[in-house]
Amino acid sequence: MSRAAAAGLVAVLVVLPWAGAGEYPLALLYSTFMYATLAVAWNIIGGFAGYLSFGHAAFFGLGGYATGFLLVHAGLSPFLTAPVGGVVAAVFAALAGYPCLRLRGPYFAVVTMILGLAVRAVVLNLPWAGAAEGLWMTLPPWEPLAARRAFYYAMLGIALVTALAGRAVRLGKMGVGLEAIREDEDAAQSIGVPAVRLKMSALILSAGLTGLAGGIYAYDRSYIHPDFMFDLHLSVLAVLMALLGGRQSWAGPILGAVVVRLVDELLTVRVGTEAARIIFGLGLALVIVLLPDGLLPHLMRLRRRAPRPPAAVPAAVVRP
Amino acid sequence: MRLSRRQFLKTAALGAGALVVPQLLHRGAWAQARPVRLGGTLPLTGPFADTGVWVERGYRYWAERTNQQGGLLGRPVEVTILDDASSADRAVSLLERLITVDRVDLILGGYPGTAAAAQMALAERYRKVYISMGGHMASFRRGFKYSFGGPPLMGQWWYEGAWRWLANIPRGQRPTRAAAITVNNPVGMSVRESMLDGLKRLEIPLVMDELYDLPLASAEPLVSRARALGADMFLANGFFPDGVLTIRAMKALDYNPKVILQGVGSLIPEWVTQLGPDGDYVVSGTAIHHKLPFPGIAELNKAARERWNLKWAPQYFLFGYAWAQLLQQAVEGAKSLSHAVLVRYMRETTFKTIAGELRFDEKGLPAPYEYTTQVINGEVELIWPPGRRSAQPVYPKPPWRR
Amino acid sequence: MLVQALQALATGLLTGSVYALLGAGFSLIWGVAHVINIAHPALAVGAAYAVYALATRGVDPLASLATVVPLFFLLGVGFHEGVIRPAARRAGDLVLVSMVLTFGLAAALENALAAIWGPGPRVVNVAYTGQAIRLGVLALPVPHVAGAGLAAVTITALYLFLHRTFPGKAVRAVWQNRDGAALCAINLRQVTSLTYGLAVASAGVAGVALALIYSFSPATHLTWLVFVFLVVIVGGVGSLVGAVVAGMVVGAVTNLATLVIPFAWAPFLLFASLGILLLWRPTGLFRR
Repeated sequence: MSRAAAAGLVAVLVVLPWAGAGEYPLALLYSTFMYATLAVAWNIIGGFAGYLSFGHAAFFGLGGYATGFLLVHAGLSPFLTAPVGGVVAAVFAALAGYPCLRLRGPYFAVVTMILGLAVRAVVLNLPWAGAAEGLWMTLPPWEPLAARRAFYYAMLGIALVTALAGRAVRLGKMGVGLEAIREDEDAAQSIGVPAVRLKMSALILSAGLTGLAGGIYAYDRSYIHPDFMFDLHLSVLAVLMALLGGRQSWAGPILGAVVVRLVDELLTVRVGTEAARIIFGLGLALVIVLLPDGLLPHLMRLRRRAPRPPAAVPAAVVRP
Repeated sequence: MRLSRRQFLKTAALGAGALVVPQLLHRGAWAQARPVRLGGTLPLTGPFADTGVWVERGYRYWAERTNQQGGLLGRPVEVTILDDASSADRAVSLLERLITVDRVDLILGGYPGTAAAAQMALAERYRKVYISMGGHMASFRRGFKYSFGGPPLMGQWWYEGAWRWLANIPRGQRPTRAAAITVNNPVGMSVRESMLDGLKRLEIPLVMDELYDLPLASAEPLVSRARALGADMFLANGFFPDGVLTIRAMKALDYNPKVILQGVGSLIPEWVTQLGPDGDYVVSGTAIHHKLPFPGIAELNKAARERWNLKWAPQYFLFGYAWAQLLQQAVEGAKSLSHAVLVRYMRETTFKTIAGELRFDEKGLPAPYEYTTQVINGEVELIWPPGRRSAQPVYPKPPWRR
Repeated sequence: MLVQALQALATGLLTGSVYALLGAGFSLIWGVAHVINIAHPALAVGAAYAVYALATRGVDPLASLATVVPLFFLLGVGFHEGVIRPAARRAGDLVLVSMVLTFGLAAALENALAAIWGPGPRVVNVAYTGQAIRLGVLALPVPHVAGAGLAAVTITALYLFLHRTFPGKAVRAVWQNRDGAALCAINLRQVTSLTYGLAVASAGVAGVALALIYSFSPATHLTWLVFVFLVVIVGGVGSLVGAVVAGMVVGAVTNLATLVIPFAWAPFLLFASLGILLLWRPTGLFRR
């Protein structure tokens, strides 16, 4: 997609709330922006570095609880304190991530899954965070439509920031380093790539962006509980979206998020939740098996009508 | 074929007319048949589905009966229940859809407490009446105007009747020491509040007060501690799976307290069908019961027998029906579908539902209920209040059957 | 106090051995085929339902093993041939793909079970449910003992198979060095299929054991997944002995911890211990 086209798309998204969109389309797009944020952020550590985190919901939930806590105890609006949510998540990632990043491959995946569950277990027992009863926040003061518009813009902003961050990482020196780590970490280290520092930076950035989204989400819900703020399904969804869209590029996860959200919406409404899940699962399995690099590289290959590269060559070489 | 401008305009006018005129003509009959649309979400799949499907059946049965009896305000009712897959997040987004896109006239409450609490916030923002089990006491302290627990599942009231019943037992025969385990979630914590309050009133010391997370891996350590401490009253403030483990552990360790209070596990049909005689004599609370003498209950029991081959109407079938019935009574009493009107009406009226008489305070709560149940010979009987008793309570608990 | 500690330890070791069994099969597939089979506990739940279905017809869970074990063995082989091999051929990152695929499979299995039996919880009642064996001051619940016995027998059988038989040694060879094994004319495909069959069969046995002890519903597999992970991470992938030790440790710790700290903090303690362990020995207690 050319820069002009991207700019045009963003312009449309910015204008949309004032062009007569109702509450529900705004809500739908808002959640799509959120999913896109989660997927792109996840991809910084999961796709670029190859460290598959199955516990990203921990960062999301921490961001939400941070802003919720500040709202309840200090009266500050999450629209102001969302960055604090991001920072809290990032700090946690720095502390907990260090031991986790010492593991590789499937071990890292499993450990991060356990991390996500552990955070849930801890928050469930913290009385000052509402513990098992959950945390109640004051309702946003605006009428539903105005509120929807506010959340729409907040999440659009976060999604744009995340996309730009992902792009900057991918196209910059950090991206090269992460790719080297993904290909062969030991070899990379032997030629001087500061693997630990890069991995930590990637995880911290990824966590911070995820926490940012969580911070805004909590306000929209007004009532948060560890069961859905630290949900394992959310962690897996982040992985799925990036996998679907294509992990090698910064924009692939966006495509994955859009597809997931829209397909889920269509199927749930037309077919029912259970059938939707089955169809979704099958579709995902098909994509994984037939298009292992994800949708975006495949679409781009179609556009350029280039012959399919052999499986051994990473598609990372192709610029999105 | 090229049309002249005139021809084009004529054709267009005819086409438009063909579309519009029938609408105009039918408007009279059409408006009369326009249904009242009720919508909500329930967990029809996932961990809470076993209860969710019964609430749905309650809603749908209510709709069926209402339509048979002429509908709501003379119009047929139409119920849409979406599956939120036991996710509170999905419950909220789907409800928002039902409100803003499908534009349902009335909302049917969700389950469980976390989903209901999250939906309460949404309903308040959109200013729609929301009748449900509530999300424990905290959700009713938010100053929400549009939420009602009709009746609510209020853990804080759960053991109210049990305490009164125990107070009636001569002091010498009452339990002397209590041990409690509580599941660490909103339901468990609220039931625990009820417990603490009652134990204080009856002056029974609490020698063990443990919290546990689901899933409970094994109950033996907890039970063995209670036994070692000489507790002759045990409170299992939890759900079915942990309740099962607890009962089995008690039997295996030969621990036989004088009375066992169970959170919510003993209310679902599986307690009796799956646990068998070991589940007998467990005491619990409830907000609604199939042996209460209120109008409508007998019919619901009959429906349960005919449709699902059950002896009695399951708890959550009754709840679903009750919540819908309350909505119906409010709409018919206020003669309006305007939520602002309904809210005012609901705070001024005493309703007679299958859950008894309900009169709401400014928080949206009715008076605390004090029904107490005990499983006797495989049946969930009412043992309190005395006027509503369906069987004599059994105390102290007989030894385990081997 | 000491009595309680012993009781907690005893029960913990019994339930821990069942976790070990569940973890062993999972570890086997991971080690040999590099596949993270998220659906492993879900298969065990499936076995538990099979036990339930037979129990309602009067068949004792232990007797139902005669059906469960061969059936699940075939299921495992089928799973490898029908799902994993096609995916492995085309996937670049088998770990990620297998995790996602098997996660989907687990979800599908959960839905299927819910469709057949409904979402409600099930409990298996047998003649010896609720009875206990007395060992001095300790009471060992009979179903727990039966479950632990099953686990012990199965793990021993697996161990003997892997170390004393030729096909078993072939499995270990592939485990240690895939290419080297191929060079020794070991048929990788057959060995991997065999491994899958064994692993899923062991999941079936674990399901029988778990059905004796716990109540279960279609969604239970996710909670058992946590225990599987813990066992495998702590014990080390690929070590049967490690799985046994880890299972016992996990079972014992969860039970003993409740004596010292509030029960609610036990999961946190477990995870924290795991974190510390990983910092010290990233590949688990028993290196492979």
